[in-house]
Amino acid sequence: MSGILSLIWLLPAAGGVLCALLPRRLTRVAAILVAAGELVLTLIVAYSFDSSHHGYQFVEQATWVPQFNVGYHLGVDGLSVWLLVLNALIALVAVLATPARTARLSSFLGLMLLMEAGMAGVFEALDLVLFYVFWEGMLIPAYFLLWLWGEGDRPWYAALKFVLYTLAGSLLMLVGVIGEYAFSGAHTFDIATLAAHQPSPAIQFGLFFLFAIAFVVKVPVFPFHSWLPDAYLAAPTPFLLMFAGVMGKTGAYAMLRILLPLNPQPEGWWNWNAVLPVLAVLGIIWGALLALAQRDIKAVVAYSSISHMGFIVLGIFAFNAQGQQGAVLQMLNHGIIIPALFLLVAGIQARTGTRDREVLSDLAPRMPVMAGVFLIVTMAALGLPGLNSFVGEFMTLLGAWQFSPWLAVAGAIGLVLAPVYMLRLFQGLMYSRTQPAHAPEPVTKRTDIARGELALLAPLVALMFLLGLYPYLITQFLPALGQGMQVLGSRWS
Amino acid sequence: MELIGSATLPAYQPAWALNDLGAIAPIVAVTVTLLIGVVADLVAPRPLRGRLVAGISTLGLLVALGTAVFRYLAGWGTGPALAYFGFATGDSFALLFEMLFATLGILTVIVASSYVRRRGFLESELHVLTLAAVIGMMVLGSATSLVTVFLGLETLSIALYVACGFNRRDRASQESAAKYLIIGGFASAFVLYGMALVYGATGSTQLGVIASRISTDNAGSPLLLLGVLLMGVGFAFKVSAAPFHMWTPDVYQGAPLPVTAFMSVGTKAAAFAMIIRVFGYGLVHLGPEWQALLAFVAATSMIVGNLMAIVQSSVKRLLAYSGIAHAGYILIGVIAGGSTGIAAVLFYLFAYLFMNFGAFAVVSTLATRDSDRDDFSDLEGLAYRSPTLGVLMTLFMLSLAGFPPLVGFFGKLFLFTAGVQAGYTWLVVIAVLASVVSVYYYFRVLVHVWTPLPEARPLPAGIRGIQGTLWLTGTFVVALGIVAAPLLQLGFSGAQPLLTAGR
Repeated sequence: MSGILSLIWLLPAAGGVLCALLPRRLTRVAAILVAAGELVLTLIVAYSFDSSHHGYQFVEQATWVPQFNVGYHLGVDGLSVWLLVLNALIALVAVLATPARTARLSSFLGLMLLMEAGMAGVFEALDLVLFYVFWEGMLIPAYFLLWLWGEGDRPWYAALKFVLYTLAGSLLMLVGVIGEYAFSGAHTFDIATLAAHQPSPAIQFGLFFLFAIAFVVKVPVFPFHSWLPDAYLAAPTPFLLMFAGVMGKTGAYAMLRILLPLNPQPEGWWNWNAVLPVLAVLGIIWGALLALAQRDIKAVVAYSSISHMGFIVLGIFAFNAQGQQGAVLQMLNHGIIIPALFLLVAGIQARTGTRDREVLSDLAPRMPVMAGVFLIVTMAALGLPGLNSFVGEFMTLLGAWQFSPWLAVAGAIGLVLAPVYMLRLFQGLMYSRTQPAHAPEPVTKRTDIARGELALLAPLVALMFLLGLYPYLITQFLPALGQGMQVLGSRWS
Repeated sequence: MELIGSATLPAYQPAWALNDLGAIAPIVAVTVTLLIGVVADLVAPRPLRGRLVAGISTLGLLVALGTAVFRYLAGWGTGPALAYFGFATGDSFALLFEMLFATLGILTVIVASSYVRRRGFLESELHVLTLAAVIGMMVLGSATSLVTVFLGLETLSIALYVACGFNRRDRASQESAAKYLIIGGFASAFVLYGMALVYGATGSTQLGVIASRISTDNAGSPLLLLGVLLMGVGFAFKVSAAPFHMWTPDVYQGAPLPVTAFMSVGTKAAAFAMIIRVFGYGLVHLGPEWQALLAFVAATSMIVGNLMAIVQSSVKRLLAYSGIAHAGYILIGVIAGGSTGIAAVLFYLFAYLFMNFGAFAVVSTLATRDSDRDDFSDLEGLAYRSPTLGVLMTLFMLSLAGFPPLVGFFGKLFLFTAGVQAGYTWLVVIAVLASVVSVYYYFRVLVHVWTPLPEARPLPAGIRGIQGTLWLTGTFVVALGIVAAPLLQLGFSGAQPLLTAGR
């Protein structure tokens, strides 16, 4: 089994380069094969993962740049193993969702696979430099995908804004990476070793800022979210599935993997551990309010994403096992729900030619199956018990309550607003707003969801039920996680 | 060995000649090539001249490269390897720079050969000038005395003054040459005056002697400090660091493209060889003084270079300003000093050689008979006109912007690590914020390269010859990033001879 983690990032990387070189008619098949192979590999890792073992598994370690103790160090634990599977699953769905008529199809699929490789690497890397390499490695394909295949009148603007926001964060993280090397006294970039050599709280205060800025932009946490609506609205759907479904999670994942273990006591002029949960709650409410105000249905989903990511960050910064387990669960849940929502939005736009909430109405008679699927996904998104999001949100709020009841109450406002914007969206789109004076016109044309689209949505919807009814599938791996998490970060003092 | 003035020098023994010539063997090889090239240009039949001299130059530079590599591998550079009464050296630091300059020379000759044919310039003269400049650079790399430093500096500069004005029919090229001549002369005067003061204060022009004198005598002599200041200003002119950078964009823009490419890497590397040798070795005990000066210069260079690059619309000017910024990054390594700092500088200079020269070389393929075609609009849709060139240009820009896993990222990582370890975290933070700005303009180039064209525009004919060179450069940009350790190890071995000054 050794070498499987390297294979997990190398397969899509090599497959991506190959796809970019293949002629148009072969590239789609090749990309699907690569993405499916990747899913199989990650499932093998998840299947043979030993949930009783605390610590990294499938570890691969080699020196890379010995002069600076840079290592090639890969491994997975309960935190990352399901995120790897999610990455592979969403990538497969995204590749399948790519229309054959896409311009420059070979390059598109090649870049998608390269991005998948970068994100897989982020979830596996246990060395800060290696992590940084993958972190930037997923950014470049994302930039080109967003810019060259973007929708709207100025995708280059959305792409550049996204890249500059993210880069400002990640380059500061580079200083943080170097700072860990220089100031921890360990003279290594190995995450586990660095966690055992923490510098003084004053230095942690500085380093925390340098790392956090990269992660809060990526998630994004309020008030660093302004790239997100531009980017999500411009993004082509297949890319958006991976972009919204997985890439945002890398920021939250990095908070748990790097930010808290390396800098648990960031106290200087103030305590950063007290700042981030407040920002998270502000994001929950702000995102929900903005979602309420949108006309464009894609924008509604985009802003709801900011709100949902706030719950994840709140859970992480609750500094207890429930909150952080809930956050991990919620990362997966959100990674399943958001791609499904964007697929449905794209389906509606393809059939009606618009995404305007004011124009669209009364779609249910014309596309009954689509309406049904939309209803399930909407219910999942607003946290209906029995569907997946409920468990995660409940756990994060439970954790947050133990941390600070006020924050939990404020966060729950977002939970109240979610049904408002999601149900209003569903009703407005699917049914007519006013009682028709005369008998409704007979439905002449049905433009319901196609079988292919339904096949793409089916696994996501199935997972929503599965994780909602049987969350133990994920949480059985999380005790290994929760134990270590007790010490991550200090309570709000 | 105490040597002050010619009176104390013993008579030169013929028996030393072999050892001394060996120490500077790469320089000898290029000099012989230069002489052969000049003669060949006179005797060869006219249609063959250009190609013949290009061939001779490439061959000679390859010999120089081989000699340097051989001496390095044989371990002859590990000691001080002094020659000519300690005025020059063949130590590993010098050998590494000789490898760099020989590689640069070869790339320049190949690119220039294709370029001049398309533009209809004289060919052999340009190659000969390149060789002369390479000699000057190599002398700078191996100089261990202020006199030899100045000798190298002038050899390099005079050859480049002529090369800049090589396009005689173009007023911009003439302006470039005139500007470079005047500013260069100005900078040389500063350096010379500084050297004179340092000589006055220490009584020697030899860097090793100067270092030991300063460590024992009073280091705070005002004469010495003024000398350091003047030399610092002159050096900053040469590496085109702000606020002494004004000449760079105009000179780069006016000069023919291969000359710009050559200058942008060569003069910078040579000037850094000089700075490290003089400041980091000869004046190492005055560290706090020149470090403060250079830290200021580095910070301004990074800020000014990156901000000014944003508004450019010519690739040459953009790369000129980006070069100013990169001079700032590299200065961080110089200021950090020690084996880590110097190794990081050497690593970055090799990285810069491949990525910056590569970028210029890609642009040089667009040149037509009437102009250099270095405007953004000329790059439009390059990726669709030639996917190879598009991908390569993307690689070079990403590497210059410092994206992993390309060599530019590791160069920055090592420089910044050295800087933070030496306590210059504030400088590294400025560098990082400046890098964010730099991403904007490097991506602007990419936007033009990848913007689809409405109609097909073929590339100029006759660029087949340099595609191989471009591929090689691109391969190095990727490979030296993924496997960074060996080159870094070279850097550490190059730093070794400089760590023993005056101790």
